[in-house]
Amino acid sequence: QDLKLSHVRPQDATIDVEVRAFAAAVAAATADKVKIEIFPASALGDYTTVQERISVGAIDMAVQPAGTAADRRMQIASFPYLAENWAQARAVYGPGGAVREAMAELYAAQDITMLAAYPVYFGGIALNRDAVTPGSTEPNGIKVRVPGIKSFQLTGEALGYIPAPIPFSEAFTAVQTGVVEGVIGSGAEGYYASFRDVTKTYIPANTHFEVWFMIISNESLSNLAEADQAALRAEAEAFEAKRWDVAEADQAANEQKLVDLGATRVALSDEELAAMSAKVRETVWPQILEDIGADWGQAILDKVAAAN
Amino acid sequence: MVEVALLSVGVLVILLTLGVPLPWCFGGALMAMYFIGDTIMKGNILWGMQQLGNPVLLAIPLFVLAGTIMSESGIAASLLRFVSAFIGHIRGGLGVVAAVSCAVIGAISGSGLTGIAAIGPLLIPEMEKRGYPRAYATALIANSSILGLLIPPSVTMIVYGWVTDTSILACFLATLGPGLLIMLNFSIVNLVMARKFPLVLDDKPSFSELTSEVTRRGIHAFPALLMPIIILGGIYGGVMTPTEAAAVAVIYSVPVGFLIYKGLRLSNFLAAGKEAATAVGAIMVMILFSMILSQMFVLEGIPQKLVGAIFGITEDPSILLVMIIVLLILVGMVVNDVTAIILIAPLLLPLMGAIGVNPVHFAAIMGVTTAMGGVTPPYASILYLGARIGNVKVTAVIPPAMLLIAVGYMPVVILTAFWPDLSLWLPRLFGYQ
Amino acid sequence: MDRFSAILLTSLICIVALGQFVQVVTRYVLQVPVMGLEEAMMFPTLWLYILGAVNASRENTHIRANVLEIFLTTATAHRVLAIVGEVISLIIGFWLTTWVWDFTRYSWRVWKESPTLYIPTFYGDVALMVGMVLMLIWSALHLLRDLRHLVKGPNHG
Ligand code: NA
Ligand code: NA
Repeated sequence: QDLKLSHVRPQDATIDVEVRAFAAAVAAATADKVKIEIFPASALGDYTTVQERISVGAIDMAVQPAGTAADRRMQIASFPYLAENWAQARAVYGPGGAVREAMAELYAAQDITMLAAYPVYFGGIALNRDAVTPGSTEPNGIKVRVPGIKSFQLTGEALGYIPAPIPFSEAFTAVQTGVVEGVIGSGAEGYYASFRDVTKTYIPANTHFEVWFMIISNESLSNLAEADQAALRAEAEAFEAKRWDVAEADQAANEQKLVDLGATRVALSDEELAAMSAKVRETVWPQILEDIGADWGQAILDKVAAAN
Repeated sequence: MVEVALLSVGVLVILLTLGVPLPWCFGGALMAMYFIGDTIMKGNILWGMQQLGNPVLLAIPLFVLAGTIMSESGIAASLLRFVSAFIGHIRGGLGVVAAVSCAVIGAISGSGLTGIAAIGPLLIPEMEKRGYPRAYATALIANSSILGLLIPPSVTMIVYGWVTDTSILACFLATLGPGLLIMLNFSIVNLVMARKFPLVLDDKPSFSELTSEVTRRGIHAFPALLMPIIILGGIYGGVMTPTEAAAVAVIYSVPVGFLIYKGLRLSNFLAAGKEAATAVGAIMVMILFSMILSQMFVLEGIPQKLVGAIFGITEDPSILLVMIIVLLILVGMVVNDVTAIILIAPLLLPLMGAIGVNPVHFAAIMGVTTAMGGVTPPYASILYLGARIGNVKVTAVIPPAMLLIAVGYMPVVILTAFWPDLSLWLPRLFGYQ
Repeated sequence: MDRFSAILLTSLICIVALGQFVQVVTRYVLQVPVMGLEEAMMFPTLWLYILGAVNASRENTHIRANVLEIFLTTATAHRVLAIVGEVISLIIGFWLTTWVWDFTRYSWRVWKESPTLYIPTFYGDVALMVGMVLMLIWSALHLLRDLRHLVKGPNHG
């Protein structure tokens, strides 16, 4: 059985390497019965489209962020300041975590099985200029590109920036020419992949925890023999476990890569981070909760609070 | 699987030859892939629609509309008069005016048709009156009209940047050098040709007459001259994205056309809007189905297999470049520029990477060769439009047009392919890698 | 019909241009970008593309490469070629429409929403189905006209 797997980063990026190792492990575990063919760099479309194509069974697998078009509740995956450190992140998004369980249910409703979570990084802000009071949430007049996702737009605003919605395809040139002075909504790894030539300052504001999911179409999964399904699930579990072990170091390595290219990494104190988190919880959370259903969302937030 | 892909391309070519509208030609190729190659169609419309939703594509109708408005409103005419104030009086000068005006117009319009549509009706009769053969004048302006695709902004470079994920701003700059060179070539060729024509010349104006005329026409052309500054200055100056610049060009040209140059009236404004929307609708539906076809190729790994197959023949970059140029010229003969880019760019990009051709350099190669398709028969939309405007037989326009291509255009195509700096120095100057 | 399509298409393209223009003004001049404007503009944009294509079908001005036409000299030969092209277009168009119908039903079932304003994307997606049906109807009308001309000659049609 050939499975087509899509991911959003270029060939030879960390995720590409890790997914290739996963594919090799699956091939070995199934005696070459399950072959995973990898399509890097969103060659099969952006992640929202790929998720839809997986849901109808046109593409088999992906490792990518959750697309929220079909179900706005999937915004819970990128809820800002939900986790504030790696231990909390693991409790929230890792095996048994409240958000992860919720996401698995939402995927299931779209005929998709979530095989693994893939922790990527804590989000930050990249600027093509020097920072202005990076530790404060007072308005600083800096225009930043935000993806067309409500929580990022509100978070950008809450942290004092002027969020400008610019399509991803035009984002790099917009930063380069100065239409905007920075980007919000990604982290060191993402900025290194897409914005490294225009990043002068990196602010590790921990805006959100970026988590991707390894997903497979229910149709593709059920087409596999029972034993192969079990092997695939076991390898996915190992893939995730390995990632949790290296994710934190990987984030530091990506921040260092930006610094090596000449960017300044701003250091924020714990108090500053706590103040940012408090502001976002106070101003952004109620609005997003309203959008995704206050009762449904609050129940998950309560579970998160209990686990932390 | 490569056989099925070839078969579907074969179906595409047959349908093209029969004169089936392009969107259905691609649909036919999809049918071939589906029924013979057993590829899946499920979820593909979904993917195609998502592609159409990319805001970058929105720049296409807007730059086309800006071009249509400028030819209707008198904006282009005032630019023409301004350019001719400098060189209109010298021997062969009107031909140079044609080339230079088309380049200036190209700095506002994103399409290759605007030049001939805007200044053809004014300049062809004028050139004929001064002793140029009508067919030659038509061929010269039609050929120069291609500059609309080479001087930024350019619809073809928007599409190239979009399908290959390359910076559109860098692609814009990549064809600028070759475009200016072509303008220069056409001017020189024209000055040589003009010696043979029995031209009627005005008396040479005195220096003070010349400066006062240039000033007078310059003031009149000022609002028009502001347009390329707003568009290109706005984009490269960090005020707006290319899509937004296209919108600003439209919004700016409406009051200027209605109130200052007064060529725009409600009737031709509506006609311009309808024309731009129709031209673009036809392109978009074609893009929808051609992108689905190209995605089927990607799913089957055709581009990589193609690289392997071609490397089986030769790995010599120079021979490959020559082969690719010949291919692009052949494709340009039968389909229009945007189609050629959508079809070829994703297929050949991996090959270009393998032989070390920079994507921005490849943008220039594709831009220059596919733009030429507009004047190479049998499908030569720009040349045919010129023949209609100039009221000459297509058969009469083809010989002088071919001469201009051979002497003025082809050398630049070759130069663009084998001298990367020609297309890369400007993007580098602006900081693009 | 001509007037109607001119007004409709020009309005659509102007709405789209105005939307982009507002984006520049609010971001560059007023420094307060409007959230969600770009996703709202997606709807008139899609309708613009699709209705523009429908108009191309109505005016019979879709892009085509008339390679064979150049070698054919008689009016009858041209007409036969046009009829062949129209029959092929109808067959392919009909097949594509079945897939577009599939997509439209999917879009209706899933009822996706735009990311910040939560506008149902179905209102944009359905344009394609409407457009395909209208294009098929126009192709059929062109075919009927050409058949009539072929049988009776253009003067009787
Ligand atoms: Na241009
Ligand atoms: Na051609």
